[in-house]
Amino acid sequence: MSLAASSTLAPARRESPVRRLRALGAPARRRKPKVLYAIVAVSGAVAIGAAQMALSVLTTQGSYQIAELTSQQRQLDWQKQMLYDDVAGLSSPQYLAANASALGMVINESPSYLRLSDGAILGASQAAVGASSVDAIGRGAVANALITDTPLVTDPDATIQGAPVVPVEVVPTDGTTDGGAALVVNTPPPLTDGLPTPSTH
Amino acid sequence: MTTRSTRSQRRRTVVALGVVLAILGGFIVRLVDIQVVSAGEHIEDSLVTALGSSRPLYGTRGSIVDETGQTLAGSILLYDAQLDPSNVGAITRENADGKSEKVSWPELAAEIGEITGQTAEEVQKVVDDARAVDPDSQYAKLKRGLSTEQYRALAALGIPFIYFDPHPSRTYPDGAVAGNLVGYMGLDGDALGGLEQTQDDCLSANDGKVVYERGKDGVVIPGTEVATPAVDGGTLQLTINRDLQWYLQQLIAEETQNQAAKSGAIFVVEVATGKVRAAADYPTVDPNDVDASDPKDHGSRIFTDPFEPGSTFKPLTAATVIDTGGQTPLSTVFAAGDEKFPNGAKVSDSFDHPTHEYTLTGVLIDSSNAGISKFAERVSAQTRYDYLKRFGIGDGSHIPFQGQGNGWLTPPEQWDNQTFYNTAFGQGVSTTIPELAGAYQAIANDGVKVPLSLVESCTKPDGEVADPELPEPTRILQESTAISVQQMMENVALQSTLASQIAIPGYRIADKTGTGEIAENGVYKRGVYFTTMIGFAPAEDPQYLVVVTLNEPTRVKSSAANASAFQKAMTQVLKTYRVMPATSAPTVLPKFAE
Repeated sequence: MSLAASSTLAPARRESPVRRLRALGAPARRRKPKVLYAIVAVSGAVAIGAAQMALSVLTTQGSYQIAELTSQQRQLDWQKQMLYDDVAGLSSPQYLAANASALGMVINESPSYLRLSDGAILGASQAAVGASSVDAIGRGAVANALITDTPLVTDPDATIQGAPVVPVEVVPTDGTTDGGAALVVNTPPPLTDGLPTPSTH
Repeated sequence: MTTRSTRSQRRRTVVALGVVLAILGGFIVRLVDIQVVSAGEHIEDSLVTALGSSRPLYGTRGSIVDETGQTLAGSILLYDAQLDPSNVGAITRENADGKSEKVSWPELAAEIGEITGQTAEEVQKVVDDARAVDPDSQYAKLKRGLSTEQYRALAALGIPFIYFDPHPSRTYPDGAVAGNLVGYMGLDGDALGGLEQTQDDCLSANDGKVVYERGKDGVVIPGTEVATPAVDGGTLQLTINRDLQWYLQQLIAEETQNQAAKSGAIFVVEVATGKVRAAADYPTVDPNDVDASDPKDHGSRIFTDPFEPGSTFKPLTAATVIDTGGQTPLSTVFAAGDEKFPNGAKVSDSFDHPTHEYTLTGVLIDSSNAGISKFAERVSAQTRYDYLKRFGIGDGSHIPFQGQGNGWLTPPEQWDNQTFYNTAFGQGVSTTIPELAGAYQAIANDGVKVPLSLVESCTKPDGEVADPELPEPTRILQESTAISVQQMMENVALQSTLASQIAIPGYRIADKTGTGEIAENGVYKRGVYFTTMIGFAPAEDPQYLVVVTLNEPTRVKSSAANASAFQKAMTQVLKTYRVMPATSAPTVLPKFAE
């Protein structure tokens, strides 16, 4: 602006003696400004403004959605952690072995193999008689603090330590504030009707 | 247009321009001040102002898995609960019926205590103690290490003055299975023992941080989030098989108790690769509850405790005299139960017998000290020392284990007349289970010694896999020598007094026993021993090496105490790895010269 202003002031400096006067040609006829350009420029600006507003609304909405999903994810994470805590230790070998022992399964001594190609039996092929080579339930020696008090699935009166379970005293609650946490038992329910099968069509 | 008016106009223009420039200059100075000079200060300010907020992004410590990928150590989140004593008091909240009710502080304390396992008085004491120190206290630790379930139950109470801090913690799903190897972590997340400690570089995570600004309703303002992501730790895979490890831990516990020994151990090595498949110690530690066990049981005696090996050194001496002394499994010596050597040394066997013409095989079968001493004379002391060094005696193992012990071998120039003979049958020397297993691994692997390893690999979250750096396998015996020693050891398993106790129906196995004396304060203990049984199977193509040791068994005091544990351990190893039963018969070698 300031530059434009100074250039309009320039003709005022007439005191310069060296300048000669000369006739100017007829000024070119000013073209009529096209209305189209104005419309394009204005509508462009409006469009930019509108787009910016729309984007801003969308991101704001998006961030609310993100907040909602994040909180949902947090809930699910907590749930996952709780479920993980519930089953922690149930996959351990000592728990499996103690359960198997409670069913009367024994760890057999030397193995035999059936060769499919000719039906030959390799190995000593003795029947599993007598006691197991280790006593996984009576003398459970590999501790696991995660499941010390967890009853076996196959024998609810025993744990991996073989010791009888200390009966849990159920504290009567008045219903308004259920402690919840203390009463959850860390064992899957025993299967009564065989293995569950998915229903398919 | 007069001159005067022109002048005043110009002056006005100059003044206006000056004012504009001055203001512009002012802005520029301020801009530079904000953006350049005190930029750091302002960034810090922006982080702590009410709107700015940040939270740590915890990286997950890598898990430790076994040979098959089963988790031995994993990470979980636990929570620390704090109270703000300045706000503690009665609260008003909605009850189950949707009506608001007032709950007093002692009632709340009782509810909190029921979840955290404290009494109402204990919870109130936490607040009272904090107030006693500072009446305006805003911070009192309630309880550390709460589970997610407890944390959510506490949060569901709707108490506004209780806060939670999550912190990553460790869980060991299999409990004491491999607890002696895996190690454990402290409450503050420091690795305190075992591989957790020695492999911390692989496992540890780097925490990150996310910085953001929040609107009034707590929603993060778009575009203000700057996150430095956390880097998770790597997954450490061990060579251990956890099912085998469990069985052997259970087994050695029972056998140690049966023999009323102080401690026991079983060590399993894959012959071809040197990979440790199980390392069971008893007594040991459950990393989930470290305090429940004696601090002396927190490590792994397998790696930390050297012992005097006894007769398990005889096959090493036999390998030496065959490899370099021109002997064969059928070479003979005359040896009685008590021998007096020309240099004055005396050597006795563990049982009385007249002079026999023993073969080298027979010397091993009867574990004759006098016999192996006579064979040992046939090579120089320096040669025997060099071979023991090649076997790796006294050098520890290449497994980086916290507090690993080394055996001790006296240099030959310091051997006296007795030591010259005693070394041949493993007296006056010491070794560790990994050293001994390493030596026998070479014999079982046809003379090629492969360094033992416990760590399979470390896989970083970006997929980069790092294998442990190990020296190249080296041939330390001629193949024919190694095969001869294997054959002799198979004959020990067939013909020694323990043959029936260690036989595995359907399989050919090889073994050697050792009954080492125990020195205490420089004096040998009377009547108690450190007993060893080491062997491999199948004898015709050795694949697995098993070492069983008992410290001071008292029911049976000799290495016969180890027979049952060895037989069961080897059977389980052969089953675990589906090793096929033998289809050929062993070559029976004579015990005495014919």
